[in-house]
Amino acid sequence: MIRLITLALVIVALTACRKDLTSDAPVQDAIDTTTAITKYSGNFINGPYGAVSGSAKIVADSSFYKVALVNVQITNGPDLHVYLSREREPIHFIDLGKLKSTSGTQLYSLTSIPDFTQYKYVLVHCQKFNHLFGSAEIEP
Amino acid sequence: MKGIFLVLILIVLSVLANGQTVEDIRINRYVDLAGTIGQSQGSLSGSYVHNWKLWKKRKWEAGFSLRWSSYFGTKTEFTTAPARLARTNTTPFLIFFAGQRKETQDTLTVQRPFTNSVNMAINLGYNFNRRWGVGFNIDLIGFTFGRKSPAILVSNGEMQTEPAAKPASFNLLLTGDHDRGSLNSEFFLRYHFNDTWSIRGIYEFLFVEYKTQMTKQVAPDGTVVDRFRNKANTFGLGISYHFKTFRNI
Repeated sequence: MIRLITLALVIVALTACRKDLTSDAPVQDAIDTTTAITKYSGNFINGPYGAVSGSAKIVADSSFYKVALVNVQITNGPDLHVYLSREREPIHFIDLGKLKSTSGTQLYSLTSIPDFTQYKYVLVHCQKFNHLFGSAEIEP
Repeated sequence: MKGIFLVLILIVLSVLANGQTVEDIRINRYVDLAGTIGQSQGSLSGSYVHNWKLWKKRKWEAGFSLRWSSYFGTKTEFTTAPARLARTNTTPFLIFFAGQRKETQDTLTVQRPFTNSVNMAINLGYNFNRRWGVGFNIDLIGFTFGRKSPAILVSNGEMQTEPAAKPASFNLLLTGDHDRGSLNSEFFLRYHFNDTWSIRGIYEFLFVEYKTQMTKQVAPDGTVVDRFRNKANTFGLGISYHFKTFRNI
């Protein structure tokens, strides 16, 4: 009986940990290069708690702005989010939502147009533990 | 000196030898373990309760208890705690019926809250018959300790990181949003299996407070706020072991 309870607890704990992880299946969101203009871009560098490669772009499509993570490879972790931040270690930031996948090209919509001279970092950040996985400083 | 002790011991022994004890049905003492669950949050509590049964029929009971409440959650929202910024009217007791001041309330999302509170509580109960009863209890005063957690403060539409929000350490019941710290209260329905064991179906209302350290809310009147409150509504079950109490006749 004790073994059964222990096994059940282990399964519950492992399931709970897995639930927070980001999908590994590559995402390939299409950027319409005929209409979208790249306004800012930068390459990712690793953070203290993870590794991120690839680049980040701010693309403008008519009046809509989107953040694009292009050809990224990201170490998986719990509760990963994409931030647009004023600082490399986020203090003031805009949460663009959960990271869609640990690889591929992904688009995240901006509901308003921030001042990109202030919000000049695109981050992959573990929200639950406040751990930075990677950052890209974007420039015109 | 030795003689006096000897006399006292003899007196106590003679009382014990001659005295008879009977079960004291005027007192209901028990220990209780309870667990409740709500949206993205839950609680576990353990308490020792000492109630006196009141009046001739002894259907009513009231007393005190000492309760340990553990609260845990994931990404739970805490709002501006000071009553003046949270409610439209802060008169004690009338505050229960006052409206929320949405324009001055900011939200602190604590990522992994976990608190332990030890509080003195008061209890009130009514027993319909030998099997069924209802009751209410509420924490009065105590202390809290727990885990620091990252949090996100949304203030005036801007998101800010709080690296390590921590539980407010002092608890005091002052009615409504005047309360300080973490305070638990329960409404419950009890069923007695026998004289020793009973179970409870519980609706729990639990106040929990976290304080920010680096990131603060600045209210429109300039007040700097570092105290944020979560009001958890949860449901659950409890199990109680009732002690037999004896008295000399």
